[in-house]
Amino acid sequence: MKAIESDRRSLHERYPYLGTAPVPIDPYISADYFEREKRHIFKKVWQHVGRVEEMPNPGDFIQVDLPASDASVIVTRDPGGELHAMHNVCSHRMNKVVYESRGTARKLYCKFHGWSYNLDGSLSGIPSEHSFFDLDRKACALTPVAVATWEGFIFVNVDPKPSMKLSEYLGPMYAQLEGYPFHKLTACYSWQTVVRANWKLAIDAFQETYHVAFVHGPSIASALRRDKGGSITPIDGLCDDFHRRLSIAGNPKSVYGNPKAIMENATGAAPAAGQRPIAAAALRLGRNGMKTTFDPSDYPAGLNWTGDPDWAFDINVVFPDFYLSLRPNYMQAYNFRPISHNETLFDARVYYPEMTTAGGRFYQEYMKIALRDVLLEDLSTLEHTQSACETRAKSHMQLQEHEIMVRHNAWVVDRMIREGEAAPS
Amino acid sequence: MTHDRLLPGDFSDLEPFSAWGLATETARNHKRIDCEQAEIEAFAKAMLPRLDAVCDYLDAFSLDALPEDARRLYFMLVAVAEIAPCVEGYGSPRVPNGYDSRRFRAQEDFPLRPRV
Repeated sequence: MKAIESDRRSLHERYPYLGTAPVPIDPYISADYFEREKRHIFKKVWQHVGRVEEMPNPGDFIQVDLPASDASVIVTRDPGGELHAMHNVCSHRMNKVVYESRGTARKLYCKFHGWSYNLDGSLSGIPSEHSFFDLDRKACALTPVAVATWEGFIFVNVDPKPSMKLSEYLGPMYAQLEGYPFHKLTACYSWQTVVRANWKLAIDAFQETYHVAFVHGPSIASALRRDKGGSITPIDGLCDDFHRRLSIAGNPKSVYGNPKAIMENATGAAPAAGQRPIAAAALRLGRNGMKTTFDPSDYPAGLNWTGDPDWAFDINVVFPDFYLSLRPNYMQAYNFRPISHNETLFDARVYYPEMTTAGGRFYQEYMKIALRDVLLEDLSTLEHTQSACETRAKSHMQLQEHEIMVRHNAWVVDRMIREGEAAPS
Repeated sequence: MTHDRLLPGDFSDLEPFSAWGLATETARNHKRIDCEQAEIEAFAKAMLPRLDAVCDYLDAFSLDALPEDARRLYFMLVAVAEIAPCVEGYGSPRVPNGYDSRRFRAQEDFPLRPRV
C-alpha cells in the first residue's frame, strides 16, 4: 500500500468555505426544505441501487422505490447481459408494471391490461391492439432512466438529461479506490428498517467517530484506536464538491477492530481470551476458512490513503445517501433513502468473502452479529434526535473539528438547492 | 418415553441446548431477546469448550449438504455468535438502549445471502 502524503492542516483549515459556525437544524425538520431537496438533488443526481452480482443473469430485474425522486425504477439485465433502467409506469394507463422487488422474467407484463415490454423497455405486445387509434409503438416504450455502474455498483439517475456522467460524478473522489476487490465479496447479509428521522440526520450519525465512545461503549468502542488524549478521532478526512471520506484506525488487539487478523497465522492480534473468549474462538476457528485470498494488489492507493499501520476502515459517503465503508476483507454498503422530511428507509448491507468451513462461517457470523448490534446502537438515537429537533427548542447545532462531515453534508445540500434555484428554469 | 436424538452422538452433552439450533438469524435473534440472561450464559458455557470439536465434526461435510442432526449442531454454533454480544459486551439479552431488533429486519431471502 502506497501512502499518500497527509495534509498537516486541521480539517476545517483545509475546507475554509465550510466555515465553523453552528449549523441550522431547519433543513432536518422542514417539509418545505425536503421538497427543495427532491427537486434540486434527488431528481438530479446518481443514486446507488444495488450490485451487479445480485442480478447476474439475463432476465433478472430489481425494482427500487425512490420516493425523494417521485419514482419507482426497474433495472433489468437483457439477453445480451446489458443493464437497462426504466420508470415502472405502464404506457397504457400508468399502472406499475412490476410489483415485486426482484425477479427473473423474459418479458415484463402489466397486470392491469396485459401490455408487455421487452427487457430493454421497448413495447412487446398489446392485447386487442387493433382497437387502439394510431398507436405510436416506439413512443409506448417504458420511459428510460439513466443507468451506469461503478466497480459493480449500479447507479440510476432519473434526470432525463443527467448533467454529469457517473464516472465524472464519482471520479474526482473515488477513482483512487478502483481496483478494490469488490467482486470477491459475494456473501451479503442485509437488514432494513424505516426510521422516523430525516435522511441527513440519519447518515450524519454514521459519519463521525465522536459518538463511538458513548453510543458504542459496551460493544466496539474498545475496537477503535484512541489518540493520546483518549479520544477516538479519525486518521484523516477528505471532502469534495459532493462526496466525503474518513479514514479510521482500529485497535489491533481486538477482533472487531483488526479484520486483517483472520488472514494471518500469528495469534498476536487475539484479544485476551478471558475477557472475550467467543471472539478469540471465532478468530482461531475462522482461519483458513475463506474461499478467496487477498493480496497487496487488491488494495488501491486510495484505500488507507495515509498508510496508517493500525488502519481498520475507510468511510466513503457517496452523495447524497450512499455510505460505503471499505475494510481489508469486507465492506458495508448502506443506503439512507429519504421517504419524507422525517422518514428514512435504512437499507444496510455487509459484503464478506464466502466462507467454506464451519469455523469460517462462525467467525463471519460473529463479525456480522457484532455489526448488527452496533447498528442497533447507531439507530437508537435517531428517532429521539428527530423528535428533539422538531421541538424547535434549539435552532442550531454545535459541531467540532471531527464532525466536519456533518457540516459538509449540510453545506453540499444547501449549495445544490441554492444553485438549482438560481439556475434559469 | 424415549427421545430421538437431535444432535450427532458425539454431542449428546449439548442436547439440552438443541433449541438454539434455529435455521435463520431472525429466529436466533428472537430466541435471544426472549431469553433470560442466565439461559444465554448457560448456553455459552456449554458450547465454549466444545467449539473446536463442533467445527472439526462439521468440516467432514459440505456446509450446503449437512445431515439434519449436523445441521442443527451447525445452527447452534452460529447461535453462539448471536449471543456473543450478550456475554462479552452487554450483560443482557438486548442491546442496552438499543433500537428494537424486530424493526431491523434481516433480509433472509436476499439472493447473495449464504444459504446456511
